[in-house]
Amino acid sequence: MSISEFVDGPFWYFSAGVFVIGVLWRLIGMLALGTKTDYSVPRASAASGAIGINITRFFPRRDFWSRIKLQVVAGYLFHVGLFALLFFAAPHVDFYRERVLGFGWPALPEWAFIVFSEIAFLGLMLLILHRMMHPVTRLISSRGDYIGSILLFLVMLTGCLALARSHESLRILHFFLAELLLLYFPFSALMHTFTFPFSRGFMGAYYGRRGVKV
Amino acid sequence: MAIDMNVFRGFAEQIKMLPQMAKPTDCPENQRVQHAKAVFAEKLDASKATQLESCMHCGMCAEACQFYIETEDPSLTPIHKLDLLKRFYRREKAPLRFFHRLFEPEITEADLEATQFLVYESCTECGRCGLACPMGIDIASMVNVTRQGLAHAGLIPAGLRAVEQEQGGRGTVFGVGAEQLKQAVEELRAKGHVVPIDKKKADILVLSSTIDILLFKDALEATVKVMNHLGVDWTVHTCAFEGANFGLLSGYERVQRFASERITSQAIALEAKLVIVPECGHAYPALRWEGANVHGSPLPFEVMALSEFLGREVAEGRLQVNPIGADKHVTYHDPCKVGRHGGVFDEPRAVLEALGVDLREMPNNQAANFCCGGGAGLFVMEKAEPMRNAAFDLKRRQVEATGADSVVTACGSCRVNLMAGAGRTQWATPIESLVELVGANLK
Amino acid sequence: MSCFCPKSGSGSLAAVLVLGILFTWFPASAEEVNPASPIMVPNPAADLWRAVRQRDAPGVGQTQVGGVETGVLIDSAGEDFRNFRRQDFIGNAAIFIGAFAALILVFYFTRGCINIPGGRSGRKIKRFADFDRTLHWFTAILFIFQALTGMILLFGRFVVLPVLGPEAFGVIASACLEGHNLFGPLFLVALFLLFIRFVARNIPKRRDLTWLMRGGGAVGEGHVSSGFFNAGEKIWFWAIVVLGLTVSISGLILDFPIFAQGRETMQLTLIVHGITAVLLTAGSLAHIYIGTIGSEGSLESMTTGYVDENWAEAHHDLWHAEIMERGEPVVEQETEKSETPPIDASPDKA
Repeated sequence: MSISEFVDGPFWYFSAGVFVIGVLWRLIGMLALGTKTDYSVPRASAASGAIGINITRFFPRRDFWSRIKLQVVAGYLFHVGLFALLFFAAPHVDFYRERVLGFGWPALPEWAFIVFSEIAFLGLMLLILHRMMHPVTRLISSRGDYIGSILLFLVMLTGCLALARSHESLRILHFFLAELLLLYFPFSALMHTFTFPFSRGFMGAYYGRRGVKV
Repeated sequence: MAIDMNVFRGFAEQIKMLPQMAKPTDCPENQRVQHAKAVFAEKLDASKATQLESCMHCGMCAEACQFYIETEDPSLTPIHKLDLLKRFYRREKAPLRFFHRLFEPEITEADLEATQFLVYESCTECGRCGLACPMGIDIASMVNVTRQGLAHAGLIPAGLRAVEQEQGGRGTVFGVGAEQLKQAVEELRAKGHVVPIDKKKADILVLSSTIDILLFKDALEATVKVMNHLGVDWTVHTCAFEGANFGLLSGYERVQRFASERITSQAIALEAKLVIVPECGHAYPALRWEGANVHGSPLPFEVMALSEFLGREVAEGRLQVNPIGADKHVTYHDPCKVGRHGGVFDEPRAVLEALGVDLREMPNNQAANFCCGGGAGLFVMEKAEPMRNAAFDLKRRQVEATGADSVVTACGSCRVNLMAGAGRTQWATPIESLVELVGANLK
Repeated sequence: MSCFCPKSGSGSLAAVLVLGILFTWFPASAEEVNPASPIMVPNPAADLWRAVRQRDAPGVGQTQVGGVETGVLIDSAGEDFRNFRRQDFIGNAAIFIGAFAALILVFYFTRGCINIPGGRSGRKIKRFADFDRTLHWFTAILFIFQALTGMILLFGRFVVLPVLGPEAFGVIASACLEGHNLFGPLFLVALFLLFIRFVARNIPKRRDLTWLMRGGGAVGEGHVSSGFFNAGEKIWFWAIVVLGLTVSISGLILDFPIFAQGRETMQLTLIVHGITAVLLTAGSLAHIYIGTIGSEGSLESMTTGYVDENWAEAHHDLWHAEIMERGEPVVEQETEKSETPPIDASPDKA
């Protein structure tokens, strides 16, 4: 079996399987711990607090803004860029259509793909460097934070290097790293992708029943 | 009556003696880790699990914490306080615990000890960090869970432990018990006030606190005046008058339950419809939000903070006050446990509006206000002094930015910490009590 | 942060040496691209082809294909450009960079590492904020990436291809081109942010002239004054702003050929791009040299943000004086804890 066949075949199925099963296992496992009943009389709705916070938390409070500008701006640049290229870049849409879902959707024009990639790189690089430079993040960051962000950076970089779609080896390199990322995902902090609505929701419920808008 | 500064200074001296009064706990030396773990295992549920799993180590929580902002010490980063809990969770409760165990070392007693300062003396559980967290991690609640683990491992800092042991043992705080309450009542009666005590049945049970009985006597007097002005059926009770809950503060659940159930059972016996918590911070969530859970079922009575009660009575026209006038410029300090954790913001402001004063909000106010630095038992822990001082310095700048002539608050701990800071820095701005302002201006 | 200032050679020194040798070596290979003399065969359609090639008179043919310069069938100037690039530009670029690297080496071996006068004091002052450093390294990483990919695009045919073969080189070159083109606009963003952040500290002042005339203290007796940045650093700042802007804008013209750029425009732009890139690369070698092995105590300013107090006094005395006047903290360690009361974090056990 050639490297190309391995990466397109068994390794893809294996990494996708680990990703799906791992994410579900971890998420369901967390939620299965359950919560205890709160017998206090709520002042307002916990449920609307849980839903509301998932929206309001996207907009940082004015009170903190001056001190967290870099994390917020770079964070959004990265995430918006990433989602745009992950879900709307033509080669990715083609991949989902052919290998995953059986259907696709309209993709971004090439120039927009490039612009969003640059935005994503800008955000990610600033965040990684900030993590290394700032005393707080230097103290609290774990190995996993660096592995995850640098692996993601390499996936994006190899994707960029393969943009000309001229050489199979560049595509395979990108695919291989992406599959490694899928394997790594369920074991890492990248899980925040799926856990954040719940962690926000639980805080929203806590403050919601107390009638505090957070 | 005014504040007797000798008593205030006496308080400070007593606090210095506390560590010597602390007794050993019933946790054997070599079982600290097991005891802590048993508590963590019980407390970690889906809400804490999803939150611990969602941390991206972004550091935004530090930028919200007054202690970090003032000292720029990265070890005071709020999420860093939860390292112990995170490690326990990953090794023992997480869905991927079998994988995490390969990388996370086992918790040791040294780890517990290293966490003590982080969750006790350098954190007031004010919750400001959680407000900044993009993942919505409720760090303050989990700091309390960590306190609970350390408490059961015999690692409550000595000063706080002494007070918790006194409350759990003799049922008093700083020696204030039934006798001292009766004495305070007699003093008030001598001034001509009607003070019902130990009634068999009453609609409203009014709580007090050691700080009010010993130090802020005007607050107690004002409360009495307000209740009589309203003409309601109320009482204080020698079996249940202490609002402060040092079991909650220290994390020692048995004492938390004792202090809370004492009030609940007395209120039930009185067939009370309402329990009023005095001007005290944590006393409010201890009963209002945790009391029912400790009890195991919804409480058959309403619980209100005094400031909340005053606001409601003003809004519904029953509490009549004479306006002081708009040339009194004040700012209002929301106690963290009553405001951010309690949801009481509008009511104290309704009272100030009725009093006709010129209210100037601090640059960071209401849900995002800065902690005074004295909460969560910090004022009885000597190693917390640098933290209290740092928080006060920040708070002072906030107050001065408003140009207000005084700062009004509705919490005895906040008053004590602000007064201590004012004394240390020769700050002339008076710290006033909301209920005292009302009491002095009743129609 | 330990001083990155060895007395004997170091790994990075070896790298500069190797690069210098490489760059001076292969101009010889550039000469080999000229083909051997053509075989003379009478061309029956010579006139036709002369006309098509438009050698004698400029002119554009007519075609149904729409687009820029589609009426040009054979671009004569293209051959001239190709030869210029292959022989003149690549060769001279290599010599220039190599010579520059060699000069740096000579400077290192004669002047040596500029040590902190009086040695380290052990006390540290905060010089660069976290964001300063983040931006610097962001720009540096992007520049190094652009320089490496750019150099492979420029010199790769002569350095990489003979070693790795045409298939492998094809992959590398394609990857480098895509990477170079995608990160180019990001470099402009980085430059812009860097400019905003650092311009206030780089405004030329009268004392900078004195600093320059005295060669930074190399000429004449005694100490020469400097503020936050000295004249040398300010020159570098403005050089990267001007050259960086030029290389970026020329890069954008090349990267987005959708604005009716003709061949001549693209060729000229490529030359401008190449020249400024080479100048920047050479300058960067000097910057990296002086920021690492060339000057004791400099690298840590950008890695930790702190500098030794003696370093500050020696190299930027006016800035040091300002810091002292403002009463800013001087710390023993690289954290900002010195002004706060000591925290007693020892545990209480029962």
